[in-house]
Amino acid sequence: MDIRESLSMALRTLAAHRLRSFLTVLGIVIGNAAVIAMVGVGQAAQRYTAEQLASLGTNVLFVVPGREDARRRGIEPPATLTWEDAQAIAAQVPTVRWVAAQINESALASYGNRTTPTAVTGTVPDFFRVQSFDLQQGRFFHELDVQRQGRVVVLGSDLAAKLFGDRSPIGERIRLRNLSFEVIGVLAPKGAFLGTNRDDAAYIPLTTMAYQLTGRRSPYGLTVAFISVSARDEASVSAAQFQITNLLRRRHKIVDEDDFYIRTQKEAVAIAGNITGVLTILLAATAGISLLVGGIGIMNIMLVSVTERTQEIGLRKAVGATEGDILQQFLLEAIVLAVAGGILGTAVGTLGLIGIGWVTPLQAQVSWEAVILAVGVSGTIGLVFGVAPAQRAAQLDPIVALRST
Amino acid sequence: MKAPLIRLVNVSKVYGLGENQVQALQNVSLEIQPGEYCAIMGASGSGKSTAMNIIGCLDRPTTGDYYLQGENVARCSSAQLAHIRNQQIGFVFQQFHLLPQLTALENVMLPLVYAGVPPRERQQRARLALEQVGLGHRLHNKPNQLSGGQQQRVAIARAMVNQPALLLADEPTGALDSRTSQEVMDLFAELHQQGVTIVMVTHEADIARRAERIIWFRDGQVLHDHLRPDDVYQAIRAM
Ligand SMILES: Nc1ncnc2c1ncn2[C@@H]1O[C@H](COP(=O)(O)OP(=O)(O)OP(=O)(O)O)[C@@H](O)[C@H]1O
Ligand SMILES: [Mg+2]
Repeated sequence: MDIRESLSMALRTLAAHRLRSFLTVLGIVIGNAAVIAMVGVGQAAQRYTAEQLASLGTNVLFVVPGREDARRRGIEPPATLTWEDAQAIAAQVPTVRWVAAQINESALASYGNRTTPTAVTGTVPDFFRVQSFDLQQGRFFHELDVQRQGRVVVLGSDLAAKLFGDRSPIGERIRLRNLSFEVIGVLAPKGAFLGTNRDDAAYIPLTTMAYQLTGRRSPYGLTVAFISVSARDEASVSAAQFQITNLLRRRHKIVDEDDFYIRTQKEAVAIAGNITGVLTILLAATAGISLLVGGIGIMNIMLVSVTERTQEIGLRKAVGATEGDILQQFLLEAIVLAVAGGILGTAVGTLGLIGIGWVTPLQAQVSWEAVILAVGVSGTIGLVFGVAPAQRAAQLDPIVALRST
Repeated sequence: MKAPLIRLVNVSKVYGLGENQVQALQNVSLEIQPGEYCAIMGASGSGKSTAMNIIGCLDRPTTGDYYLQGENVARCSSAQLAHIRNQQIGFVFQQFHLLPQLTALENVMLPLVYAGVPPRERQQRARLALEQVGLGHRLHNKPNQLSGGQQQRVAIARAMVNQPALLLADEPTGALDSRTSQEVMDLFAELHQQGVTIVMVTHEADIARRAERIIWFRDGQVLHDHLRPDDVYQAIRAM
């Protein structure tokens, strides 16, 4: 029989049992909505991290202490990277423009009777350039502040608001770990970076951090958490990486394994992409399982439907339907159900993504690949799970079928 | 003499296996000529429906041969049997067996769908068939909007829409009152006039009386195969 005939017959039957058809495809709808939403969220997360890293500028390199694989194994990085290293890079590497060593701590910040925990970064003036910070009020600290271990602080906009409300903090004194600092500047809002809020933070001179706030020193000198470096331009990133590596190997008298490693912007993006990529796959797999469950739901209801429609099948056979005709009709019903579920699910998933876009910074888009995949997979699921009921229908003995009343 | 339309030769039918075996038909031999109008009668469980199912190619004999228009049906594939049912046989059942979600017109079109007739022609032929059974004004009603007699007439239109040579009816009036039963029988008589071969199963004497020949079954065998309807009618009335 012509496939269009079967299709219109399938559509009529499904339309005649609207509620049941809807309930049957609910599983597929949910499965598809989940796939669309999960893949959308995963991809949005991937794009978000990439954008965040790219916002640093493409010519940034990070020098990090420890062996490259140490961090992954959860080993505390050795205190081998020092401020002197950073100064040497700035002085001796010609392809480098700005160099910023930094130490990160957390501390309680207080002003008057207001107290709040915050992130404190000890660093140098170049830091603001590498990270391209802008000022809202006041000034950044100078080289001189670093040399003199000045008790000055530049506040992130959120921290300033928490401590001072609407008042101007410039010239006021706040306390960090019970040391008094003069507020000299407030940064323009910068937003979160990979989940840490850079506006709820205080920035102080590196030396003040090392010698007064933490008191932490090592036999190597003033050790730092990492050094961010800005190459002259994008083209000189690899040259800078090579030159810094050589310089640090000489300074650290390394013969075999490096005790530091250098990440370029590109590598960082790739790594972040890998992590979020795995996340996407996990989410998609979970959603895929619910799609499978939806398929089993279709099979279940179709089997019931075959039993219920025994008489119809017998009658169709009596007036000339072949086994192939019946098979085709029931298979098409299953496929139509599944594909309709796929389309409906895609719509629901898309609405879900729009909702997620409202409440999180993840601006998810519906990817065409995901839509085609979801609907295609649904159709296939309809086909696969429709076979058993359709075969049962096709093989019904017309006499038995007609006798049942 | 014309070649018989239906020829059963030593047909037996056994249902079930082992202990539960039922011999529904036992060495039935029977010939029906083109254009005949036969009624099959007999007690309940005597094998009437079983014989009808075999004649209608819905079932196959366990042993024996069945020739329909000279062709041995036992050798046909199930797809070929479907084609025979579609082209050469029309069925009418006691329970009408109309599809509830389809209109009268669509129900009548069903055999034409499986015959591969294009939609426009299908519509025309189905409409004509319904007009012939007097339901030209009920084309778009669903079965549950029709009376029992009307539903059976739709079923007759469906059986005849492909212009088969043979009309098989298993207790066609079993679910109808006596007046509508006679209306259905009038339709059968008309079809018989037009040359259609009719075989019907019935329990009712005044229905069987409308046929030309009565075949009597007992215990899966043909007891009499050429009774005259009026004799049977008188005999049953006398009881
Ligand atoms: N599918 C089947 N499986 C097992 N036994 C069956 C089957 N179909 C019919 N039979 C048996 O075969 C015998 C003949 O049945 P059949 O339906 O042909 O009788 P019938 O003459 O049509 O009776 P009725 O007048 O009640 O319709 C009965 O004993 C019945 O129980
Ligand atoms: Mg019967």
